[in-house]
Amino acid sequence: MTDGRANQYACTESVLDITPDAAVVSNLGVASYVLASVSDPKRARNFYQWGSMGVTTAVGLGLALSTDESVTVLDGDGSLLMSLGVLSTVARYDPDNLTVVIWANDVYGTTGGQSLQASHTDFAGIAENSGLNAVTVQDTEAFTGAYRDATESAGVTVIVCHVDPVDPDARPSFDFPYIARRARDSLTTETS
Amino acid sequence: MTWSEDTAEALADAGVELVAYLPDSKMDALIGEVVGDDRFETVLVSREEEAVGVLVGAWVGGNRGALLCQSSGLANTFNAISSLSVPARVPFLGVVTRRGNLGEFNIAQVPAGYNMDKLLDDVGVRNTVVSDQENLRETVSLAGETAFSTQSPYVVLLEQTVTGRKSEATK
Repeated sequence: MTDGRANQYACTESVLDITPDAAVVSNLGVASYVLASVSDPKRARNFYQWGSMGVTTAVGLGLALSTDESVTVLDGDGSLLMSLGVLSTVARYDPDNLTVVIWANDVYGTTGGQSLQASHTDFAGIAENSGLNAVTVQDTEAFTGAYRDATESAGVTVIVCHVDPVDPDARPSFDFPYIARRARDSLTTETS
Repeated sequence: MTWSEDTAEALADAGVELVAYLPDSKMDALIGEVVGDDRFETVLVSREEEAVGVLVGAWVGGNRGALLCQSSGLANTFNAISSLSVPARVPFLGVVTRRGNLGEFNIAQVPAGYNMDKLLDDVGVRNTVVSDQENLRETVSLAGETAFSTQSPYVVLLEQTVTGRKSEATK
């Protein structure tokens, strides 16, 4: 835990502190478990995923195109690796209200921590070459600054945040339709 | 009206606002209709499972969405459909050009295309096949109505008898 990586819990708290009203689309597994760990259980705008690995950023794009609210995606490096084409799609539409965070822990954290064997791969470089703004951060303070900048700037920024693997105990509701419906109700009936 | 004009009107009838798509030779006419129609916002995806994600996000944001692709592309969406759209009760309307059946010349299109109705049944996605343009607009419109009312995806498969035959078979 001392190799100069960011803390995923603290970074996720920063997301909620900086954009308290944002819809947050979290990747299945660890990204969702950490979000559940640090969120008020009543936070309606957490759209936790329970499946569909590789599709989380696409969900965030569709949501960003359909609401005026801020949308933040919390994706994983393993999930992004199986769906790199989505970065080109996101760049094609580049909505101002979307920020994409990639938790880069170099492992498949939800299935037991197996290595990605992808340390040779520069995810921020791929995002930039797909037409997006991108930044790599290695510690929590840098993440907080990068996230604030990303949410205040035009277009989409991809923040690749190197984190230590974690194994949270918290879980979102197992009632998947409730998660989706609660987020939808919050975004469509409580705002102007 | 052409089959593609009928279908575009049916999408509007069903209240669809966002259309996610990947090109296909048969689907090209319909994609042209919706891209040029300001009733629809359109999203070109890199892979069809992205489209399911985009449409799920659209629903959570308050919009109704439709997917336009070919049956082989629909096969690319099965994890997204069966682990997101179906279990989270998030609807979309699929309009899919069906390969692998009448007039098919390419054996690679047969296993998924010919069986697509059964594959959809197996993951709990209701579907219907349209083989005659006469019923097309009403079928697509009703498919959308039930998808969004029941909050579950519904797919309309279009046979080549609607969209026109591909000439390779007779060369």
